[in-house]
Amino acid sequence: MDWFSFLVAGVMVYLAVFVFITGMLYQIYRWLSVPKTNVRLGIFPKPKSKTARLLKLAKDSFIFPQAFEIDRKMWFFAILFHFALLAVFIGHLRLIQEFSFLFNILGNKGVERFAFISGGSMGIILTVALLYYFSRRFKSPYKDLSVPEDYLLLILLMLVVTMGNHMRFFGDVRVADYREYVHSLFVFKPAFNLGLSVSLSKYSLVAHVFFANLLFIYFPFSKLVHAIGTFAANLIRSE
Amino acid sequence: MTVDKQTEEKLIALLKQKINRQLLYYLDICARCAICRDACHQYVATKDVHYLPAYRAELIRRIYKKYFTRTGRIIPSLYEGKEITDDLLDELYKVTYACTGCRRCMFYCPFSIDTTWVLSVAKTILIAAGKGSPILTELADAAIEKGKNIDLFKGIMLDILKDTERKLQEKVGDPKATIPVEKEDSNLLYVALSGEHTILPAAIIFHQAKENWTLSLFEASNYGYFLGDTAKAKTIAQRIVDEAKRLKVKEVVVTECGHAHRVFKFFYESWAKEKYPFQVSSILEIIHRYLKEGRINLNSKYIKEPVTYHDPCQIGRNYGVFAEPRDIISQVSADFREMNPQREKNWCCGAGGGVVAQPDLDEFRIKTGELKVKQIRQTGAKIVVSPCENCRLQIETLNEKYNLGIRISSIMDLVAYSLLIPREQS
Repeated sequence: MDWFSFLVAGVMVYLAVFVFITGMLYQIYRWLSVPKTNVRLGIFPKPKSKTARLLKLAKDSFIFPQAFEIDRKMWFFAILFHFALLAVFIGHLRLIQEFSFLFNILGNKGVERFAFISGGSMGIILTVALLYYFSRRFKSPYKDLSVPEDYLLLILLMLVVTMGNHMRFFGDVRVADYREYVHSLFVFKPAFNLGLSVSLSKYSLVAHVFFANLLFIYFPFSKLVHAIGTFAANLIRSE
Repeated sequence: MTVDKQTEEKLIALLKQKINRQLLYYLDICARCAICRDACHQYVATKDVHYLPAYRAELIRRIYKKYFTRTGRIIPSLYEGKEITDDLLDELYKVTYACTGCRRCMFYCPFSIDTTWVLSVAKTILIAAGKGSPILTELADAAIEKGKNIDLFKGIMLDILKDTERKLQEKVGDPKATIPVEKEDSNLLYVALSGEHTILPAAIIFHQAKENWTLSLFEASNYGYFLGDTAKAKTIAQRIVDEAKRLKVKEVVVTECGHAHRVFKFFYESWAKEKYPFQVSSILEIIHRYLKEGRINLNSKYIKEPVTYHDPCQIGRNYGVFAEPRDIISQVSADFREMNPQREKNWCCGAGGGVVAQPDLDEFRIKTGELKVKQIRQTGAKIVVSPCENCRLQIETLNEKYNLGIRISSIMDLVAYSLLIPREQS
């Protein structure tokens, strides 16, 4: 591994993971250390039982059906974006361990084909949704509401996704090589194997990891904390 | 221009005091997606970004980012973090005192962000900077003065009540019918508004239901709440809570007044840090109870003209009474029509949150009432019923300005009138 790759795809990864975890814990601590107002801020009709309340919380947080009623376009792209995000997150788990059940069913070639189609389409969906998010920011009234943070996050996300797509569509490296790199991170000996070192994909990988690192470092201090805050805030809705 | 150092420090200390967990969530998680765009009648009617719910809260968020977050202190420009300037305060004034507090944006927000809750902080800051709404301050102070000098007001009030009592006796045909005031151990303390129109129909209903009730010396409306001054709002509401305790009533019944429902049900106990020794109910719940228990019987379907119901935000979405008024209206009306949208999705009338009391917003509330006008027209109704004084005043104005050709009624009026029909006919 060259020194630059070592810094970005090695040292910085640990830093990013550390900042992300401590940052999120700090954010949660910050929230919980401030007392709640005992004014009940919920809106009616409220769910009657505890189970109904939890079901409503899940529905409001994962599908937000009310938004569908007044802004279908934004709702559509938001659902698309977040679903694809979840899908690529799951897809990345393959870099830790091969999904053996899929492997058993589809075989080696089948898995590769499946990964190409699913990962590829999710990458395209993410790009399209991000482009929509981005173009929306340039129209009134969204333009007047937006702050630099909004653009910064979108640009970072776009860079991460583009680099990922680049590896997916133009890369010549096989999954086993990436997996070897991820495993090397786990044992604190970050390294690229020969296949990866000599490939052009190395550069897109390093760029992908670099922007992902930045995203994770900034995550706990940005509006992205809605990823956990949404559950707390949506729960207040039925208080 | 930045406000002077001393004021700045005072405002920041105040903001710090006002921070609670709910507020932190709201300030930290907004994604500025602006799905709330079409939730706010004021934005839809004006297309002015100032009235976009997310933008209103964003003004507070900018101050918060600058003074209360680490990243915001280091790189304020990332969040457009702002120092408190006179311009910012003026902008805050514009977006805050125009908000009707309907919380329709909260209903549609994917994170359920309560913009009014954020704006209550804005109001605190404005008041501390000496920029609270002057007219709402005046009205709140007048109510507090009345509480201090109640003996002075009592004489006048009792005189006027004599007159109302005579009307009651005439209407119900019972020379012994009374409007009791300060009667101890009553079942319920009825809190009306200033003006006979909220007292007489209630007195008729209570008389017919043979209720053991007493009338509060104070009016339900709370300009301290509209102003956003918690101390004043508490003092104003406390006049009634103290009265209820003194008279040892079992239930405090709030008249058809939206925000008073919320003040007594959701806010007062938190402001005063105490639990009520009585129940709080809406007059709508009481009427509905009488009907269910058979204590009053309505003259069924006596209204032939089409009737529609406007859900006041503070009674529907923010208090939870949806079914009772519909039940009552359906009993007296042969042609009840729903508005679209309705219930928790209903559009605000355009004048809640003290907007109706601010003359400089008169034109604005007529303009932003256009959605309500459209809704009423769509129903083809000739009578619009709404159990909130604020909504009724606004719909009266809209009726006049947009030539709707409708009549506006309270629920109590419909019920009281229905109770009297057999007597008048015989």
